[in-house]
Amino acid sequence: MDDNKEKRTVIEAEIPMGTVHPAALEPYRVRLFVEDEIVRDAEITVGINHRGVERIMEGLPVEKANSLTEKICGICSNSHIWNSCLTAEKPLGIEVPERAGYIRIIMEELERLHSHLLYLAHGSEVLGHETFAMRLFYIRETVMELLGMIGGNRVHYGASILGGVRPRCELDEMRIQQIKNGMDLLEEKITAFADRFVSDPLVMSRITGVGVISQKDALRLACTGPTLRATGVEKDLRRDMEEYDPFEFDVITQDDGDVKSQLLMRVMENFESIKIIRQAIRDLPPGPITNRSWEMKDTPLTKSYIEVPRGTLYHSYALEDGRVRNCVIRTPSMANIGAMQYACIGHHITDAQLCVVQCDPCFTCTDRAIQIIEI
Amino acid sequence: MSVAYSVIAVLGTLVVAFIVSLLLPGIERKFIHARIQQRIGPPITSPGIMAPIKFFFKQTINPNSPMPRLYNALPLISLLVVTVLLLFLIPQMYFVGALASVIAIIGFLKVEEVMYMFMGSLSRSVLSVRMPFPDIVKGAKHPETPRRFLEELSTLRAFRLIAFGSFPVYIALFVSVAVTGSIFLSDIVAYQQLHGPILFTVAGALGAVVFFIGYMILLNEYPFGILKAKADVIEGPYMEYAAKYRAYNYLTRGFLMFVLASLFATLFLGIAPNILNPNFIITIIVALLFPMLMAVMSAFSPIFTYKQFYPTVAAVSILGVLAIVAASL
Amino acid sequence: MSLKSYSRGRAIHVMLVYTGGCNGCDIEIVNCIFSPKFDAEQYKVFLTWNPREADVLVVTGPVTKHNEKPLLEIYNAIPEPKAVVAAGACALMGGVYKNIHGDIPSEEIAGPVDQIIPVDAKVPGCAVRPQDIVAGLVSALPLLLNAD
Ligand code: SF4
Repeated sequence: MDDNKEKRTVIEAEIPMGTVHPAALEPYRVRLFVEDEIVRDAEITVGINHRGVERIMEGLPVEKANSLTEKICGICSNSHIWNSCLTAEKPLGIEVPERAGYIRIIMEELERLHSHLLYLAHGSEVLGHETFAMRLFYIRETVMELLGMIGGNRVHYGASILGGVRPRCELDEMRIQQIKNGMDLLEEKITAFADRFVSDPLVMSRITGVGVISQKDALRLACTGPTLRATGVEKDLRRDMEEYDPFEFDVITQDDGDVKSQLLMRVMENFESIKIIRQAIRDLPPGPITNRSWEMKDTPLTKSYIEVPRGTLYHSYALEDGRVRNCVIRTPSMANIGAMQYACIGHHITDAQLCVVQCDPCFTCTDRAIQIIEI
Repeated sequence: MSVAYSVIAVLGTLVVAFIVSLLLPGIERKFIHARIQQRIGPPITSPGIMAPIKFFFKQTINPNSPMPRLYNALPLISLLVVTVLLLFLIPQMYFVGALASVIAIIGFLKVEEVMYMFMGSLSRSVLSVRMPFPDIVKGAKHPETPRRFLEELSTLRAFRLIAFGSFPVYIALFVSVAVTGSIFLSDIVAYQQLHGPILFTVAGALGAVVFFIGYMILLNEYPFGILKAKADVIEGPYMEYAAKYRAYNYLTRGFLMFVLASLFATLFLGIAPNILNPNFIITIIVALLFPMLMAVMSAFSPIFTYKQFYPTVAAVSILGVLAIVAASL
Repeated sequence: MSLKSYSRGRAIHVMLVYTGGCNGCDIEIVNCIFSPKFDAEQYKVFLTWNPREADVLVVTGPVTKHNEKPLLEIYNAIPEPKAVVAAGACALMGGVYKNIHGDIPSEEIAGPVDQIIPVDAKVPGCAVRPQDIVAGLVSALPLLLNAD
């Protein structure tokens, strides 16, 4: 299978798509090299979205920089701010109150829910299944409302601050009740959707066996997150994060590595997230949510990795006078671009778009440091 | 007297058909898609009537095309072809002889399909190659490859569809020929007035199913809409149409829906579209029913790539051949 | 009301262009059109991806350098009458990305949107709320209706 993919490289023409394209949504450029209508090679150009967030962060007070990281991505904004806080908290030795840790987890898992639902909706849209896409957006609305209720804004909720969470995000009885109800509703709706999705023969015939990434290739291409897990590798950073220690959840894996396993992977992960949120709500410890007794000092370059909806997110910076220095951020989609290009090869063009989407690209996160030189 | 009568019948039928066809896209969108997707949906007049009118009032621009005049003329030609097709279905026009036969209808439908190829190869939209973006840069893959527009891709697909996609509809047309033993519409209608509609025989029922699939393929509706799949070619051949030429496209599509439905009524129910005949109401009902069924199908299925397309067409064509065999037994 | 403006008000084709925002606004706008909860189609707003079909161009994001020319091309491809709605803080004034260090201009951002194409309606918010998007579209409407 793998060798066949490489062997035949008759390239008749190039079909460029983007930067504005309905299947892409985000500005990126895909160049498909085709023979007849079969893709033989693909090139994804990122960097169109490059806004220089890391450069802007250079020299900003760390509190300000934290809320700026949130604006890197509108889908996983909480992951960025959370990881950025962790990067500063570790060397500064800030103890995060237990309750705050739980609330952060709740926000993160809610975000995973909405990100995965969005992914599924986008996938359905690229499949050409408008009804499923709309249904998923409708389901997702429940999560968005919960996030809006907790954070006060539907997208950038800014829950984490240095030393805990923002007072606005305190969970009182009413909110807890709402989250509980929301989880029940979500579980019911996602189950119903998953049943219909799996039992739809037309959808299944479109997605089984398409865009296969074998386990070997996934490791070779250094995929992360659900994209890697869908090929059967049991690697979830949440297992190693001490924040997730109190919670019990399964690491979902799928075997085939095709679009079907990628999609089902996300469906299943939703249930795990619901499980984690339920546990967090149940065991939510009492106490303060912010620890304000800490001293600012200079710190060396610190690295922090967390598991976000799309894989492993990496933040690193040093602190000098309370200001951020040498900030580097690496987002999971960056690691998955290789897999996207690879999965397209050997498929019909309509499927190729699906192969790109299956890796859950988020190029707004990814684009920060690429230079394009015209020849 | 009788000439005047015929003229009234023909014109009246055309006008009524036109009015009904304007409502079809709206009905599809509001009553089927929106209901299935559990939302309110647009008013029925919006997609079919108001959108074309709006486009008539927009500024006419020069399309990006090697032959802009020809490109802009194509929608008018296809609207004309569809109108002529309906014209020859009307009983008062059966005197034209060979033109009012199944063979002529197939010819007209072919012309309609070939239009897509012309449209696709003449359109040069901004959304692919012409997008001002530095593609050929240091380190870019295969910088020497010839570059294709998205529309050329849809031309390729239109070509494929001409080759195999329209089989079902043609086979279905021949079911009624096989039953009645004549290719002339007048004979087919007369036969059914004597023996009852073909639809209610085994061959006719099978033929109707085949016709319906063919109808969807001809209209490029999802799931058979690979010619204008949003996931890659966006709108395919129509990409560069703006203003009134886009309006003609809207009208043609609605009209084609009606014409194909009345073709069905003629061939399988023995009811030729004629406003002076009270049975015309059945034609209208069929014309409303077909888009509704089609909308249900399209709301519940993803788009087909060739992997699903070929087997579907093959299976349906075999069904059609079975129907013909059943008819000639 | 003449037929012209009546028909224009009854079928509004909207095209979205993302010019490098953070996805927050983009997804809220898609949400506004796709989600049955907001369902912009009931207000006769249809989503399109073809500039030749569009009436209203919704732009999000601060317009990065690479997106400048595509945005202009797409704007020019839309036949008159047309309106532009800039959505989100980024599109209005560059958001957090533009000019963050006081007077030092950003090297990456060419925007905000109104430096590149004329903007008719501005929708603030980071991210914009779906309801505001519909309101913004409505406020751009008179321009379309009264144009000739
Ligand atoms: S305004 Fe805010 S939410 Fe919108 S694109 Fe900019 S940073 Fe993202």
